[in-house]
Amino acid sequence: MSVFISLILRSLETGSVYALAALGVVLIYRTSKTTNFAQGSIGTLNAFVAATILVKWGWSIWAVVPVAMVTAIITGFIIDTIFIRPASKVGPTGKQIITLGLIIVIIGIIPWIFGVEPIPMPQFFEFTEANRINFLGAVIGFNAIFVIGVSIFLMTALFWFLKYTDWGLAIRVTASNEVASKLMGVPTKTVTLMSWATAATFGTLAAIIVAPQTAVDINMMNDIQINAFFACTLGGFQTFYGPVLGAYIIAMSKNLTSYYITSTWSTTLVYVIIMIFLFFKPVGLVGKKFVKKV
Amino acid sequence: MKTKILNTISLFFKPIIKVLKMYKNKLEKSMHQRFVLFGILLALVPLLSNLDIIRYSTVSLVAYIVIFTIVALGLNILLGFSGLMSLGTAGFVGFGAYGVVYFSSLGLPYEISILATLIISSIIGLFIGLFSLKVEGVYLAISTLAVGEIFSQIFRRVTWFTNAFGGVHYKYPLLFGVVQLNRNTTFILLVIMMVLMMFVMYNLTNSKTGRALMAMSRSNSSAQAMGVSISKYRLLAFLIATLYATIGGILYASFYRYVQPLDWNLMLTLLILAMVVVGGIKSIFGTFIGVFVIYGVPSLWLEELFSSINGVAYIFSGVLIIVVIMYYPYGFIYVIQDTKKLYHKFKNGIENRKNKKKNKVENNV
Repeated sequence: MSVFISLILRSLETGSVYALAALGVVLIYRTSKTTNFAQGSIGTLNAFVAATILVKWGWSIWAVVPVAMVTAIITGFIIDTIFIRPASKVGPTGKQIITLGLIIVIIGIIPWIFGVEPIPMPQFFEFTEANRINFLGAVIGFNAIFVIGVSIFLMTALFWFLKYTDWGLAIRVTASNEVASKLMGVPTKTVTLMSWATAATFGTLAAIIVAPQTAVDINMMNDIQINAFFACTLGGFQTFYGPVLGAYIIAMSKNLTSYYITSTWSTTLVYVIIMIFLFFKPVGLVGKKFVKKV
Repeated sequence: MKTKILNTISLFFKPIIKVLKMYKNKLEKSMHQRFVLFGILLALVPLLSNLDIIRYSTVSLVAYIVIFTIVALGLNILLGFSGLMSLGTAGFVGFGAYGVVYFSSLGLPYEISILATLIISSIIGLFIGLFSLKVEGVYLAISTLAVGEIFSQIFRRVTWFTNAFGGVHYKYPLLFGVVQLNRNTTFILLVIMMVLMMFVMYNLTNSKTGRALMAMSRSNSSAQAMGVSISKYRLLAFLIATLYATIGGILYASFYRYVQPLDWNLMLTLLILAMVVVGGIKSIFGTFIGVFVIYGVPSLWLEELFSSINGVAYIFSGVLIIVVIMYYPYGFIYVIQDTKKLYHKFKNGIENRKNKKKNKVENNV
């Protein structure tokens, strides 16, 4: 039983990372009409900023994270104004290729500015005797609790923002029909700008959470990026909460299959299950079928 | 002295230009002739390397471009003509490479191992085609990404098939059990395959099938109303794309003779996608140009120019992709049309000016 609970807790932790990344992906998909392949790379870039400041100048992690958030917002602004907005004529596939171009640019920028060595990154709370508690027989560190708490708080805040504020309404309106909302006076440009900035911060946070598991390096977000996409398809691109749901389900099924069935093939098994699920429900868990009139 | 050299050079080129002029009418009429001529020109690359005009390594580079032109052509049929998206291409290329090596290691001849690999991959392709009948749009794209990821897990984990991280070695192919190819002849084999694939694509897309695919990409319902069987043509589109990718993989193994598991990732898939979109959707030569822009330009010039600083070559090639997409959203192939327009504009401008001058002189008189 304690194993099961600790598996669930661990899934909540990884699920939070997937969920943050997936929320960024779906935000950009709805407002800019493209699947953002660079989501992970943007996070990695800003995690490098955080890690470099932390190692070179000796700042504490609590001071470094806000700095990384600010640089993430700036990256989001830059990407939207320089690359995405001028490309409004480009089709969806073309925009995907632009995000691919962004990945390549970021892969070039990182060794140029930060060097080629991976940089170690500490956790928010070290996993020591004092910094952990027993929960129904399972041991959980403060770091995991903090990560789960912060992600859930951020996501709730975003959902509240989307539902109850004017700007949230503007985002939802833009997401459902950009042209019509522009005609109704919604500042769609600012909305896209904001969603890129938000997506970048979420990606950066996900990257900073993952970083201590290995070290900050160029490929650390690849796996999370892919899982975020799967979370979006599993949950459905039509809603904002679907991908979050999908992210936790994927994390949980991965951990459970790898412990109870097979550790080598758990990822493959989960992907196959997702595909079979999609075959029977082609628009995800909470997606609605979009009916096109002829 | 200078004129003498120029004269000898022009003497050398004159017969070539004469032959080209003779064929000019034919070339303008028939795409097939153009493909053949293009193939012949490419087949000269190993010769140039033997004559020390270009470097030895450049041949491998051009081989890579030729191989990925084949792969990108397949994706172009899928994306450009039928409007379906696949993010599992790299997986199929990897499968082709591993498949031919595995079946050859069982002692089967080259041709039979190719056949076996193609049969297996086409079965998988048909499955994805069936899948695409229910799942659409971005969901389909991400599902094919799942297929690619499953492939990449297989490449890493199934030791008897791929030798895991050690990779597998291969040898230059032995054709029909008699003709042993070497590096240069394998290169020519690649070029022949590319020209053949161009032929197939051209004939296919200019036939009833191509028109049906295009109708399907515009609107499923209208196509169905016109009597196009959606299920048949979707399956066909995925089958063709899969076969092209697998053939690319087989040729990759034949030329480079080493396959390792980490190459076949999402990044490669995206690059192949970029080759199609950057080069020009629905355009055969455009695809080649796309591959050249994405792979050839960075490895031929950028990496050498900026070898002193880490990563700057990457920045340039990323910016290059973005700029091309922004200014040529329908493909880089349109740059040719634009230069033609510019040329005519320029020419007309000069003529106008001349006429004006003439008029002025005449008026003065």
